[in-house]
Amino acid sequence: MVTFLQELVNSLSVASVIILMGIGVTLIFGLTGIINFAHGEFLMLGAIGVWVLMGYGLGYIPAVLIAVAVVGLIGFLLERGLFQFTLTRPNNGFMASLGLSIVLQHVVIRIWNSFSKSIPEPLPGVWQIGEITFIKMRVVVVLVTALVVAVTFLTISRSRYGLALRASLADRQTAALMGIPIRRYITVVFTYGSAIAGLGGALTIALFPVTPFVGSEMIMLGFAVALIAGLGNVPGVVGAGLILGLVTGFSGAYGTPEWTNAYTFGLMIVILIFRPQGLFGGTMGPAIE
Amino acid sequence: MADKRPPMGPRTNSAWPSPAALILTTVVVIGVFAFPWLNPGYRALSFAVTTGVTAIVLYGMAIPFGQAGIMSLGYAGLMGFGAYTAAILSRDFGLNMWEAMPFSALVAALCAGLFGLPSLRISGHHFAITTYVMCELLRIALINGGKFTGAASGLDLPPIGTVLGVKLDKLSNAYMLVAGFMFISMLAAYCVANSRYGRTLRSVRENEQLSRSIGVNTNMYKVGAFMLSGLFAGVGGDLQAYNFRHISPDLYGGATSLYFALMVMLGGPRTAFGPLAGAIIVTFLPEFMRIDPVDSRIAYGLALIAVVMLIPGGVIAAVGRGYQWVMRTLRGPHAGSADPHSAQV
Repeated sequence: MVTFLQELVNSLSVASVIILMGIGVTLIFGLTGIINFAHGEFLMLGAIGVWVLMGYGLGYIPAVLIAVAVVGLIGFLLERGLFQFTLTRPNNGFMASLGLSIVLQHVVIRIWNSFSKSIPEPLPGVWQIGEITFIKMRVVVVLVTALVVAVTFLTISRSRYGLALRASLADRQTAALMGIPIRRYITVVFTYGSAIAGLGGALTIALFPVTPFVGSEMIMLGFAVALIAGLGNVPGVVGAGLILGLVTGFSGAYGTPEWTNAYTFGLMIVILIFRPQGLFGGTMGPAIE
Repeated sequence: MADKRPPMGPRTNSAWPSPAALILTTVVVIGVFAFPWLNPGYRALSFAVTTGVTAIVLYGMAIPFGQAGIMSLGYAGLMGFGAYTAAILSRDFGLNMWEAMPFSALVAALCAGLFGLPSLRISGHHFAITTYVMCELLRIALINGGKFTGAASGLDLPPIGTVLGVKLDKLSNAYMLVAGFMFISMLAAYCVANSRYGRTLRSVRENEQLSRSIGVNTNMYKVGAFMLSGLFAGVGGDLQAYNFRHISPDLYGGATSLYFALMVMLGGPRTAFGPLAGAIIVTFLPEFMRIDPVDSRIAYGLALIAVVMLIPGGVIAAVGRGYQWVMRTLRGPHAGSADPHSAQV
């Protein structure tokens, strides 16, 4: 039982990073229709950014803040410079993002190298509650993720900006006639999603060493949670992320870690075939034209 | 631009290419077969073999992608099925490359049908992501396959051997063999594209609802296109396995599939020379010119973005359009639109 609870606790931090990835994918894919295969590279850039900044002697927290801001800026520039031209032809956006993913990955390898990078533990130590050990940094990661999820969910479901966003998803033309600046919303959502991915990366590197290839692994998990949950469904991403995090944690603890991703991917294919709208229901992406 | 052209006559549907295209084809065929006589050296020749094998798979991929408009990111996996079939048949039953080829092709075609099945329920990007994931599933299965698949270190194969007195183990002869198969697959892809079957696939691409409404069983056509393309991937996998003589799971993961997609899109999936051009540009040129692999990948990523944004039909289609524009300008405004088949399949 203790092992079980311990694994549950450990899985939560893995789930957190997957959830941060999935929120970005679900917002960008589900609400703007942009399929960004390079989204995982934003996570990688966030992690590498923290590593570089800490190499210059910055503390962890300022490094995270700067890295997230920089990744958000990169996302903004890419949306303005590239993806905004693909809004009516999402297929082109998808293909361009494949190229973008290769470019970002190899630019990082070119400047720094392809070896794995780690930082000194920003918050060492553990809390002991009964027989269960809580590693402090992992608790922080879970709390930060919970905060991001809460803010994102409340903004989308309760604020007038979220209402406008959902309106533009339902019917772009009518929403535009109601005076909603759709283009601007798309830019904001894309930038926000990118920054969240950057945050995911900044938190990841505090937990594990990170290589420049981490993005292409994480993007598949991000797509998996977003599609399993149903696109655009933020609470659904949390549910799906928890499921995947637990699968990852328990398959690691009880024997078959080498098949972990296979379970995730298999689940995703099965759910897409039998419930294309996702487990918890979502949009199928915005209607184009 | 378009309004200056004369009105289109009845569509001839002739599969015969224009004289210009025939000349171009002849030049390419001679050029490819003459390559070993230019003393390219061992390194360049072995990259040329890899390029040829890749091009075979790309011609298969161009059928569902170019004609039916369904993008799949699973082709490295299908090639892997072909290659592992060849390796396992050789190890357990002592079959050689030729005997294993039909099995490789068949296994890959069946798996391609299986990979394609979700396309009946899942469309567009969801499907592309699904096939990428299937490819990764295969890689994980191969790594965990224990002795049967040789796990992460993979399997070894015997040399190709001698056929009709020709030593195929010699690299220049292996090159000729691969080049031969490459042209066969190019011809096959061309014939499919210009057949009734290819036209129906294009109708599925342009308007699936409409083509279903006039009685086309679009599901059969879609899965059929995948199975057909699987044959190419299986043959490519068989040839690759025997030319590399060692295969491992990492050759057939999602990342390789991405590069296949990159090559097809760069060259142009709907043109006769597009896949070959894509394979040469991405697989052969950087090695031949000894560009740092990291630099070349950055360059190709950027090139892909540029092609997608600026010339969506691919490099060869752009060249074809440029040629037609030159011919039209030379002949004067009303001399007719050059044969639409010359570049665009």
